[in-house]
Amino acid sequence: MVVINDRSRDLGPFMPADDDGLIICRCEEITKGEIRRAVHDGMFNLHEVRRFLRCGMGLCQGQTCGRLVRSIVARELGTPIAQIDEATARAPMRPIEMSVFAKEVEDV
Amino acid sequence: MKRYDLIVVGAGPAGLSAAAEAAAHGLGVAVFDENSRPGGQLFKQIHKFFGSKEHKAKIRGYDIGAGLLREAEGLGVKVYLNSPVTGMYLDREIVAETDGAVSHYRADAIVVATGASENMVAFDGWTLPGVMGAGAAQTMMNINRVRPGSRVLMLGSGNVGLVVGYQLLQAGCELAAVVDAAPRVGGYGVHAAKLARCGVPFFLSHTIVKAEGETRVTGVVIGRVDETWNIVPGTQKHFDADTICVAAGLSPSTRLLLMAGCEMYEPVPGGGRLPVCDEFTGKTSVQGIYAAGDVSGIEEASSAMIEGRAAGAAAAAELGYISGGELKARLDKLETALASLREGMFAPKNRGKVFVKTDEGYDISDSLLRNGYLADGEATKYPGVKSVAGIHPVIECTQNIPCNPCQDACPKGCIKVGTNIVSLPAVDEKAGCIGCGMCVASCSGQAVFLVNEDVGGGFATVTAPYEFLPVPQKGERGVALDRSGAPVCEAEIVDVRTSPSFDRTFLLTFRVPGEQCSRARFWRREVRRFGRD
Repeated sequence: MVVINDRSRDLGPFMPADDDGLIICRCEEITKGEIRRAVHDGMFNLHEVRRFLRCGMGLCQGQTCGRLVRSIVARELGTPIAQIDEATARAPMRPIEMSVFAKEVEDV
Repeated sequence: MKRYDLIVVGAGPAGLSAAAEAAAHGLGVAVFDENSRPGGQLFKQIHKFFGSKEHKAKIRGYDIGAGLLREAEGLGVKVYLNSPVTGMYLDREIVAETDGAVSHYRADAIVVATGASENMVAFDGWTLPGVMGAGAAQTMMNINRVRPGSRVLMLGSGNVGLVVGYQLLQAGCELAAVVDAAPRVGGYGVHAAKLARCGVPFFLSHTIVKAEGETRVTGVVIGRVDETWNIVPGTQKHFDADTICVAAGLSPSTRLLLMAGCEMYEPVPGGGRLPVCDEFTGKTSVQGIYAAGDVSGIEEASSAMIEGRAAGAAAAAELGYISGGELKARLDKLETALASLREGMFAPKNRGKVFVKTDEGYDISDSLLRNGYLADGEATKYPGVKSVAGIHPVIECTQNIPCNPCQDACPKGCIKVGTNIVSLPAVDEKAGCIGCGMCVASCSGQAVFLVNEDVGGGFATVTAPYEFLPVPQKGERGVALDRSGAPVCEAEIVDVRTSPSFDRTFLLTFRVPGEQCSRARFWRREVRRFGRD
């Protein structure tokens, strides 16, 4: 089994591709090229890519792009997709206004 | 903190069913949903459902939804609308946004019925306005009454793509094409045939190369794909279109289950994780948490409703509202109903399998799988298509799918599906059809026709189901279309029937020259019905 987070792995040089300009994360406007380059810069899992680029951290919280980003990262790493964990699920799961978030009802 | 016996997240078919079942056993139940209306996807489903009577077959989705909601509310279920659940924590505590504040709720059991979200495909131009999920288009049309566009290209030939494609036609859109990278139509053949006979072309083994347009979609280029999914040079085709619908499958919305620490697995690499759970009650690895409906694996709404019932009953037993024996009796009944839905060529266990013959040994039509329609002369190979004197049903149902309303619809016993719900319907030519049309209206796949091969003067009549507005009038002249949507001859409407028992399906009877009665399957006014805006 491939150890995904073996940081010493050589992925080879970053090869530009025709579709690098394709937007993958619509909410944060992150392109396929940026995601591929992030992998070459050492972001070897979805958590790191997400923190580095903010893809999947916009309004839809990765509902649209999560699957696409995962396949791009897997392909770039040359790793079977099943070995790439999906991003962690965290609250709040849905976009919520700060004014609402701050208004917590202790006893209903 | 407000407490309930059971909290259900998601007021779709699975969630409402779970809530109603549990409430019927005496549990205090609350359902949370982020939408302003309950029912999940059910209220978007304007077509008749497949299955048997127990699965509410031949009833339209929105009527099923309304019935479920009445049942749940009648049993005292509290439904919180506009209330997204934003997190799930230890000891079955949830946090939901209600009335502009966040509140905590706790329950002894939680049913997660959050459904699924649509997959997107990233092609050049996919972020242009005019590209949308097929489900989104369906919401626009059937919930918000807004036409998504004038001329639409559908990517995806699964049941979602086919059903939404047909509804786009019903809403008055033109459908430029149905495109799928797979080499065969993914959804039911009967759904594809409905589109094909309206003249919609199918492009299998094709995918979108790019969406054209500067500020919005103005066109689409598709191309043929080879075995490695790359575009074959020189196979590009252009279509004018202002809308592209993507029906590329669904991903279960499992994030609450992940947050709750449920054990997950990924049956299809890249397809997304699913909860490890009882395939029937949806009991997960975390005590008191159940998963029901699409969140535990994508299936039809009919299955989701049974899964919801099973989860509701299991929760009732866990909380001591019913005994183990009562649970078993209830589950046995539900399991039989679910098992029959999980049979046939499109069953979850058969995903990805290619069938060349039906269970009965009939060849599956290659033309149906590649073009969306049975080729001329093919229909007569199947047991539902017989040539008989006088009026008789012609059933162009050629795949093993779990559905049998046609059998129950016929008062004369002309149609036999038998006890195996996935069997192809067979016409008994001796049973004496009276031409009542109940079978035509009952078929969710609109695959039943009444044909009288000789009405005198060298003419025949064909009666077909019709679900478009405006409804043609008796005496109107138009053209009869064959299964591919090509005009075959002039045809005059000789009868238009409707009845409460047809549930909004109209039966058009049109007269065609006798030799065309085996080809004419749809009717169109001479003027093209769908002009460009």
